[in-house]
Amino acid sequence: MLQFARFAAVRAAMALFTLLLVSLIVFSLMELVPGTCAERYLAFKNTQGSGISIADIEAEERRLGLDRPFLIRWGSWVGNVFLKGEFGDSCILRLNINDLLGDKFLISAAICFASLILAYLIAIPVGILSASSRSAFLNGSLRFVSYLGLAMPNFLLALMIMLFSTVMFGDSMTGLFSNAYRDAPWSLAKLGDFLSRAWLPVFILGWSATAFALQTVRALMLDENDKLYVTAARARGLFGRRLLWRYPARHALGPIVNSLGFDLNRIFNELPIVAMILTLTEAGSLLLESLARSNDQQLAGAIIFLLTATIVGLNFVTDIALALIDPRVRKSVMGG
Amino acid sequence: MSEKIPATTGPNVEIVETEDAVARRAREAYFTASQRQLIWARFKKNRTAMVAATILIVLVLMGLFAPFLSPYNPTVAGRDKDYTNGAPQIPKFCDEQGCSMRPFIYGVTRERSLATNFRWVTKVDPTDRRYVHFFVEGWEYDLGPLTFNRHLFGVDKGFIHLFGTDDTGKDIFSRTLHAIYTSLAVGTLGVLISFVLALVIGGVSGYFGGVTDGIIQMVTDAIRTVPVIPLFMAIAAFIPQEWSSETRFFFISIIIGFINWPTLARRVRTHLLVERNQEYVLAAQLCGAPAGHIIRKHLLPSFTSYIIVDLVISFPYIVLSETALSFIGLGLKDPVNSLGVMLQNTTSADVLLNYQWYFIPVLFFIALVMAFVYVGDGLRDAADPYGGTKK
Repeated sequence: MLQFARFAAVRAAMALFTLLLVSLIVFSLMELVPGTCAERYLAFKNTQGSGISIADIEAEERRLGLDRPFLIRWGSWVGNVFLKGEFGDSCILRLNINDLLGDKFLISAAICFASLILAYLIAIPVGILSASSRSAFLNGSLRFVSYLGLAMPNFLLALMIMLFSTVMFGDSMTGLFSNAYRDAPWSLAKLGDFLSRAWLPVFILGWSATAFALQTVRALMLDENDKLYVTAARARGLFGRRLLWRYPARHALGPIVNSLGFDLNRIFNELPIVAMILTLTEAGSLLLESLARSNDQQLAGAIIFLLTATIVGLNFVTDIALALIDPRVRKSVMGG
Repeated sequence: MSEKIPATTGPNVEIVETEDAVARRAREAYFTASQRQLIWARFKKNRTAMVAATILIVLVLMGLFAPFLSPYNPTVAGRDKDYTNGAPQIPKFCDEQGCSMRPFIYGVTRERSLATNFRWVTKVDPTDRRYVHFFVEGWEYDLGPLTFNRHLFGVDKGFIHLFGTDDTGKDIFSRTLHAIYTSLAVGTLGVLISFVLALVIGGVSGYFGGVTDGIIQMVTDAIRTVPVIPLFMAIAAFIPQEWSSETRFFFISIIIGFINWPTLARRVRTHLLVERNQEYVLAAQLCGAPAGHIIRKHLLPSFTSYIIVDLVISFPYIVLSETALSFIGLGLKDPVNSLGVMLQNTTSADVLLNYQWYFIPVLFFIALVMAFVYVGDGLRDAADPYGGTKK
């Protein structure tokens, strides 16, 4: 037990380190962007008709603490995020980022996790089936479908579904809430309304994730199917589902659990664009808006950091889970 | 009368190969074949991959010869201002007034008046035949230092728009061809950049091992957890508006090249970690060869084919990244044609309901990406020396 705690602690420390590194990368990239927040804000004010001087900009920079060296500013940003969970104020909107993001980020995360689950619910049984089947037609068509999932970017799929539903039903099926519930507080009725619309982004994001997961599962199963222990089990008279689930599928499970983090990464990659097409009001589209319209570094940085933190968190959880479910890993961790 | 019996002795002896000799020669050819010949031989057997390769070559040629194949200039300069948002015009050979050897399309007239509720209404005029001619003269384009104005086809009067036109009257067919070219160019540039990065970083990490490797791997892993497209959207968003489209194009290619390197770098590293303990590396080291020389001359050639395969496989993802960036308006901008740019304004209900031909280029792109994926897959199978034994 002690050893397991030590293992978990090491993993947690590594996750924390990764997060720190990522925050440094994100922060530096935000810093590379020409112009500081003060300049941008005042430039915005300038367009509203008030005259701005160099002194104003400098005063504003001092107020925001932008005159301090880069590393100190990074340190205080990271400190606020890690210790207080505060992302500070948005540069342009002058609003607290935590308030601004609020449940929007949770909605995004929920949509992405739902797509991830959907992807594996489909990919695991189908992948196992296709790996153990010798039917050329089945494998060929599965390959085609999953390549199509890779080749057709999600936003194209979203566009096609919009095209189809507009022509067929006269409704483009966009948005996360119907008008009645958009600004209403959370309630059961609102949740129901949300679910009746959220399945579309979940399906679209899940489509390419499924394609990818299917390829992974199939390749892993093919590798395991040829191994001697499977032959031995078959020689003992095991066959069919019993054989597949008890032997090769268990071995293939480890790498699949390990790759969950990267699958989530891939889904996050697609989220902003799909969100924009379907006009979802969640963090992904907020990210795009903060980038494309208002050049809001702080907000964009916070969202990217949150997305990454979710992935790092998932990676940590899968590492621990793998140690719990896989006896081989457990043995190497526990040392006995 | 008697059948000629082949001489078995003497000067006219015919060389009759026994089956054994044929088989031996085949084996010998197999053993002496170069890596490239082996891969090609295995690739040829894969029928899907060969079909995909053919499609890919056709598409690449279409992209390369885009100016010649497209009847009109794909920018605003070549717009047909009397036929904006126009439907595709399919050439035909026959109609009620009889057939002609030369394919033709109908002329159109546009009208906007009280009778049409003040909307532009297009009327096809079946009496006005416009014949398709080949190798016609048209807009000028440069190929290197030379300027040409020949195009594969055109009509004798007015315009022909095989895929229709967009809202400014630009020919969608011409734009599609140029967009294929742009995608290939961005893809090539992006692949090259990520390739160089991966080679340098993976090469250093794998060759030196130890602490260097540990640090580089930690950084690579950290980068791999960041969702890159949102991150690069952040960078692309701050490209100054006043940059010319060429500068923008190069910058976007560089950004996209940065997206892809960690996966390839990891592969290079893993391979080098295995290879650096081989005798031939030790021999080179004993001869006093510097590290850079050993990586370049001895280690990298040992897996060139795998690198090529990886590059082909990563190509479609780079093309798709560009499309996605351009689509949301953070990538390439208007005078440059790319699929993303062409699809930018298609989410409006007007386009979805009335102008579905905006989506024709999508088919070409799905074909392009699919062809790349299948060719990459076939190459990977062919380059795998153990691939043949499994079946």
